[in-house]
Amino acid sequence: MKFFRVATVVALSLSTLFIGTNSASAAAPKRIISLSPSATEDLFAIGAGAQVLAVDDLSNFPASAPMTKLSAFTPNVEALIAYKPDLIVLNSTATKAEDVRKQLTKLGVAVYWEISPVTLADAYSEIADLGKLTGRVKEANSVITTMKKRITTAVNAHRKGKSVTIFHELDNTLYSATSDTFIGSVYKSFNLSNIADAAATADSYGYPQLNSEYIVKVNPRIIYLADAEYGENAKTVGARPGWKNITAVRKGQIVALPTDIPSRWGPRLADFYEFIGQSLAKLS
Amino acid sequence: MWSWRITAISIALLVVVALLAISFGPVEIGFPKILKTLLGLPGAATGQERTLLLDLRLPRVLLAALVGAALATSGAVYQTVFRNPLADPYLLGTAAGAGLGATLAFTIVHGDVYALLPIFSFVGGILAVLTSFFISGRFQAEPNTLLLSGIAVGSFATAVQTYLQQRNSNALRPVYSWILGELTAANWQVVSWSSFYILFSLSILIFISKKLDGLMLSDEESFSLGINPQQLRIIAVAAATLATATAVSASGLIGFVGIVVPHLVRGITHRVTNRSLTAIAFAGASFLVLADLGARTLLSPAELPIGVITAFVGAPFFLFVLRAKRLVN
Amino acid sequence: MISIQDLTVRFDGRDILTDINVSIETGKWTCLVGPNGAGKTTLLKTLLGVYQYSGSVKDEGVEVYQNQDRNVAFVPQQPHIPAGMTVMEYVMLGRSKKDGWGRETKSGRDFVAQVLTQTQLFGMQHRFVAQLSGGEMQRALIARALAQEPKLILLDEPTSALDLHHQISVLNNIEILKEHGVTILSTMHDITLAAMYAEDIVVMLDGRVTLAGSASSVIHSPELRSAFDDRINVYTLDGGRPVIMANKEYLNERERPQTEA
Repeated sequence: MKFFRVATVVALSLSTLFIGTNSASAAAPKRIISLSPSATEDLFAIGAGAQVLAVDDLSNFPASAPMTKLSAFTPNVEALIAYKPDLIVLNSTATKAEDVRKQLTKLGVAVYWEISPVTLADAYSEIADLGKLTGRVKEANSVITTMKKRITTAVNAHRKGKSVTIFHELDNTLYSATSDTFIGSVYKSFNLSNIADAAATADSYGYPQLNSEYIVKVNPRIIYLADAEYGENAKTVGARPGWKNITAVRKGQIVALPTDIPSRWGPRLADFYEFIGQSLAKLS
Repeated sequence: MWSWRITAISIALLVVVALLAISFGPVEIGFPKILKTLLGLPGAATGQERTLLLDLRLPRVLLAALVGAALATSGAVYQTVFRNPLADPYLLGTAAGAGLGATLAFTIVHGDVYALLPIFSFVGGILAVLTSFFISGRFQAEPNTLLLSGIAVGSFATAVQTYLQQRNSNALRPVYSWILGELTAANWQVVSWSSFYILFSLSILIFISKKLDGLMLSDEESFSLGINPQQLRIIAVAAATLATATAVSASGLIGFVGIVVPHLVRGITHRVTNRSLTAIAFAGASFLVLADLGARTLLSPAELPIGVITAFVGAPFFLFVLRAKRLVN
Repeated sequence: MISIQDLTVRFDGRDILTDINVSIETGKWTCLVGPNGAGKTTLLKTLLGVYQYSGSVKDEGVEVYQNQDRNVAFVPQQPHIPAGMTVMEYVMLGRSKKDGWGRETKSGRDFVAQVLTQTQLFGMQHRFVAQLSGGEMQRALIARALAQEPKLILLDEPTSALDLHHQISVLNNIEILKEHGVTILSTMHDITLAAMYAEDIVVMLDGRVTLAGSASSVIHSPELRSAFDDRINVYTLDGGRPVIMANKEYLNERERPQTEA
């Protein structure tokens, strides 16, 4: 008799456990298409990789992500539908994003409307959102906590007491990013002074084109090259007319940024903060 | 009469091409199912497939047909009015004006830009043409002067557009996409307002199509034959511009249709007269529906901008026409 | 009859035609002669009805300005030649006055076939107009005008660009119209040729009419030379036929640079 009661209780508890997880996974989408490289990184970091069916043609991290020819910039509704997804992560700056969202909703597919983060807090909320959507809240929180810890450590260790001037170079025609941009905010958190801020009014979106004379005059201490993958390096930069007397060039403080990492707002943001921290540690 | 036969053939062609286009894509729907769904018969598509068919494919194919007809007919009319076989519907600055309007939309409007985009580009296109008319001499409508004014207006609009894009880098990609031409997010709303303007202007053009032949002669000659060339030119250009501006605001800048299709039809029918305008309209519709089919399927799942396809077909065709005309002229 | 009274035509503040008073008789061939810049083409186009004027120009009692109720054929000096159009289609355009634009009637087509034969173009009817020689193009223009079955035909320098043989052939074609009672008005440089075909001649100089009347009276008029501002010399052949040629001494006599085009 006693055995019977214990067994029933055990069976019932086990079954509620089973039901619990079942309903959780029944609600969570299992056929996700991510049209955002950062969201792809988020999804895999929180352990939802198994729920991801396809990612866009620029989602190259992690390597195990199922990359397809789908385009993040020009989403094709019909191609997306052909995969029979149950959730699509769509960035608001994609071409005709609003229309795409409306069409997908009409076709009965859930859409996560991703708005590119402007601050760190925004990046964290996206991870939290994706955690809620995929039923991986715990994992999401743990990713966020780790990121926060790493970033705070890096910033505290290497933040400069006195403002150090930096120039973030997007391409060799001297386009830069102001502190209003996400990447600008990263530099700002290290208390670095971004020389592009003086030209903030030139582009409403935060990416003005700077003038060579101005850069020489302002004389930045560090130059960060986002165009290193296109062949720019300390030698090519130093060879530019008038540039050899810039402090950054003289002291060899020209830092080639790794590809992709500066333009993603997923968990590898912590890598980026640490990278910038390291570059400042070597500052003379 | 020959013209009825040619028109009938072009209509039939459009129906076949449209069915093909509705059927093919990343998701394929069979012909029988398409017809059953459209006619409300049993065996029709349901659920997601039905939504795909009725809310995605059908409006897109219809929009392609409307825009193709608008551009081809306007191109044919412009070629007659300007007595230039290489004239295209964007000649008087419509393209540049619409592009400027679109850029303004992308830079000024926050939120759902695409809802207001058609209005901006439409107004931009029309204003550019009106300005061309005005600087060419107060609606005198003398072809060569108009052409030059159109070039001037177009250059100015493009310059302003470039400046705006420099000041607002986030507008660069959407404007570029728009310029390449796209029918990607066609919906019934776009189809309804664009069909109103396009069908209205096309009816006017077809109504005056026979008299348009008079514009191929000098003004005195056509006057003696009973036409008011000045008035006719203004009506023709106005209607053609309305059709073009609508097409551009619905689908961005799709090039070559306005030059290629009139020549194709005139070449097949061996008639340069404007009686073939109806056939040109239907042929233009078929042409663009086919091009859009290519845009959707050739690089699937990515979309090829439709302007790229029309250019790939149009450019070699252009050269062919030039060579052929050398024998004639 | 076309009666012109006190006609003045002004462009951009300048008088191109001043105080013209002349009558053009119905069914006759009248030739407008005079040096370049005399206003011959302007007068022709005014009679067509495309220019505004002060004074009065009445064709059968009705002012001609913008009047498209008349059936007037206009043969320009430099026509616009449509690319890709055949001779047959080009001449058929002339039927739009009688049959309506874009309408092809059997009687219209028959008439055009007849006209093409008359102007020796029947064998070339499927050739592109753009491929015709100068003389053939001129004949095509005449054919189109004939197809119109007009009451009045206005020809601007119908022979200027042609060689002697074609000049005669075109003029002969125009003469066909006289059989149908059509009023013919043409401008011509060559007065000798004009005198051979026209019944009436109107001499113009600097926007005015300096001499008008029957061809023979004008040709033999002692005022002919002065009507041309002494730019011509009149020679008489045996048999009394006049030949008019340019006065080579004109420049020396006037001592001013040539302004004629």
